[in-house]
Amino acid sequence: MLSYTTLEEDKLLRVDFKGDLDIEATELFQQELLKKMEEFQSVNLNLKEVPFVDSSGMGLLIELVRTLNEQEISVKISNVTEEVFEVFELLQLPEILGKDVFV
Amino acid sequence: MYHGKFTAPHPDGSSHALDPFLQREIKLAKNIQSTLLNGEVPTFNGGEVSGSSLPARLIGGDYYDFYPLVNGKMRIVIGDVMGKGIPAAMLMILTRGAFRSASESTKGPGDTLRAMNQALFKDLRALGSFVTLFCADWDPKHYMLTYANAGHNMPLHISGSTGNIQTLSKVKGALVGGIPNLVYTEEQMHLDKGDMVFFYTDGIVEAQNTEQEQFKLERLIQILQENKDKSAEELQESVLSSIHTFTEGLPQKDDITMVTLKITSDNSDITSLNSPVI
Repeated sequence: MLSYTTLEEDKLLRVDFKGDLDIEATELFQQELLKKMEEFQSVNLNLKEVPFVDSSGMGLLIELVRTLNEQEISVKISNVTEEVFEVFELLQLPEILGKDVFV
Repeated sequence: MYHGKFTAPHPDGSSHALDPFLQREIKLAKNIQSTLLNGEVPTFNGGEVSGSSLPARLIGGDYYDFYPLVNGKMRIVIGDVMGKGIPAAMLMILTRGAFRSASESTKGPGDTLRAMNQALFKDLRALGSFVTLFCADWDPKHYMLTYANAGHNMPLHISGSTGNIQTLSKVKGALVGGIPNLVYTEEQMHLDKGDMVFFYTDGIVEAQNTEQEQFKLERLIQILQENKDKSAEELQESVLSSIHTFTEGLPQKDDITMVTLKITSDNSDITSLNSPVI
């Protein structure tokens, strides 16, 4: 089960995730987190402690970034593990979201 | 297997029987999906194909299909709609329609994925959903497999002569619904007598046991190696049974789907078609 902690720095919100990102995170992403993130100008999603992302988790991530970008909120995804990034590359996530999203 | 009444879990952990009307609707939906998924499988001299799909819930979002082409080739597709259950199943039906109509008018697997992405992009974007797809054309005359990928797991090639199992050479492509008007590149591979290609969805390698360990690619490769001499259908049964043993009866987390192409002799002309001739 995915859990998270947040750190607010002025207009930036950093979200540190812990656990697997899969379909179980749907409500967390679409209801809880999205609302919170919409209060900030930029958001950093720290995936350092996310060892696994499945196709549903990938979809949640894409949809979250797209929705925030539409509201002109800048999103960065940081500290993606090598194993997870391999899957991101297979799905061409950097091409879908923009290469500068990954830091 | 599902027995007795369909039940829906509640947040408090209890479950309540669904009303009979809803039960009937779900049963009908399950029948529609099962009928569409398990259509007639094309047969051909010199080889065999087989497909199977086991949804995690009553119905699922995984998809596979065979589409024999007039030039004697056979188009194979396998895919995974984001999510599970009824919402994913509705989009799976949409995907099937897009595949069948794209196959009528496209030359190769890359072109098929391009046409499908074009057809589905707006709907998927509006619904916030995506589909991973792997599409391949088997040419029995020239023993060539041509393939393209839209964010799906790379299938495995099992060599009949050496027993080696390797993923097909990688070919990149964004999942359907990801990038509009995307062109999908193709790769090719020559297959020999005795070779097999195993296409699958991530529900297999990501199946979890009580220790929260995943089944992983290594276990899948081991099972394929141990059962490579069986028929395509028996091989798939062995994979399913080893997943059940591994998960020790835990509820299935994701849909599980696989397709096997097996070349058994030198003559592999496709002789029976399951779709109208174009």
